[in-house]
Amino acid sequence: MDQFYGKVAEILEVNEVRDGDVLKDFEAWDSLTILSIIAMADSDYKVTLSAKDLDNIKTVGDLKTYFENHEK
Amino acid sequence: MNLKFKNKKISGILTILPAHEVSFEQEMGNYNFPPAKSLKLKLAMGYNKHRIVEGNVCASDLCVFGLEYLFNKCFLKKDEIDALILITQSPDYFMPPTSNVIQGRLGLNQDVFCLDINQGCAGFEIGLIESFFLLEQESVNKVVLLNADVMSRKVSKRDRNSFPLIGDGASVTIVEKTDRDLAIYANLKMDGTQSDALIIPAGGFRLPSSPETAVMREDENGNFRSKDNLVMKGDAIFNFVQTEVPPMIARLVEFAGVRMEAIDYFIFHQPNKFMLHKLADKMKVNHEKMPSNIVESFGNASGVTVPTAITFNLGSRLLEKDYKICFAGFGVGLTWSSILMNVGPLGFCEMIDYK
Repeated sequence: MDQFYGKVAEILEVNEVRDGDVLKDFEAWDSLTILSIIAMADSDYKVTLSAKDLDNIKTVGDLKTYFENHEK
Repeated sequence: MNLKFKNKKISGILTILPAHEVSFEQEMGNYNFPPAKSLKLKLAMGYNKHRIVEGNVCASDLCVFGLEYLFNKCFLKKDEIDALILITQSPDYFMPPTSNVIQGRLGLNQDVFCLDINQGCAGFEIGLIESFFLLEQESVNKVVLLNADVMSRKVSKRDRNSFPLIGDGASVTIVEKTDRDLAIYANLKMDGTQSDALIIPAGGFRLPSSPETAVMREDENGNFRSKDNLVMKGDAIFNFVQTEVPPMIARLVEFAGVRMEAIDYFIFHQPNKFMLHKLADKMKVNHEKMPSNIVESFGNASGVTVPTAITFNLGSRLLEKDYKICFAGFGVGLTWSSILMNVGPLGFCEMIDYK
């Protein structure tokens, strides 16, 4: 979970992210970013995340919690 | 389902791609996105250019062109053909079968077993399996397996989700009996509960085409398509591939009693570079062993991408050597299938352009 913030920041094309940041507010938020997060969920956390699941996740902190709850 | 075959081989592969080529940049203006975003997608997915037919070129046109090339070069004789299997999801007509049309256009003899199979992404594997089944019969010695699609004609030009990666093409694969006793292992699975992940909603009998189905509508991502156009749930397919393909290959190598390291190449269906790299990483396979370069040069022509990956990447090397190859196809249906077999030396292994 340590590299979570770094990887998410990279996908969102910013220097850093915080728990309170709203995902959809990022300029880089688009279908490709969504797919990259889905790919990251699978490769790093063995979590299957759908675009619909991601639609219901509001902030960076919520995403972290989602991974923690679903991690295998 | 696990299947085992022996004394069968591929003896030649020819891929036929339309000469007409269009680049991603040329089409970017059709999409509803800022150029910067589109170029970012191009980089990540590996889009570049694709080969698509012009006008009303059909699957049978590409197949007849390829077969006539083989007849002219004496790589194949008309009277040696026992079966003609065509794997397509873009037939010339609802009826008659397009394989019958091809048989008629080429003047093949009436004893040829003609069969159309409606399969796409896993079409090469399903086609090979069907060819192997037929070759179990004493009277079937040479099967001509055709994979052909002109799916670009069913994808909306304003659909950035699908149009950049679509391709058209055909392949001719000769499958025949051999004295060599090498075993061929195959497996396949189906999941129709996700049949809507990759679909053309209208045009069949469930929802016939009408002026209403032709209306272009914008989806939540800014892509425009009608019900007559192909629609793909990218995230569902990505998750399906990542979840199902690695265990399928693991089951196949276990069934075959072979180690992953013994496999020379993983020639997989080519949805796009992004997905194949993620798949290779998950399977811990070197990227060099799993070519992912077909979409960027030619596009994804459904079941034709696997034979194209062979002719483009292995080409003349397969005329001299034999390689242990793992084929896999996964997608529409949902269907997923893989085959482990030795391939080569082949009598021919080339790519030609359809003009």
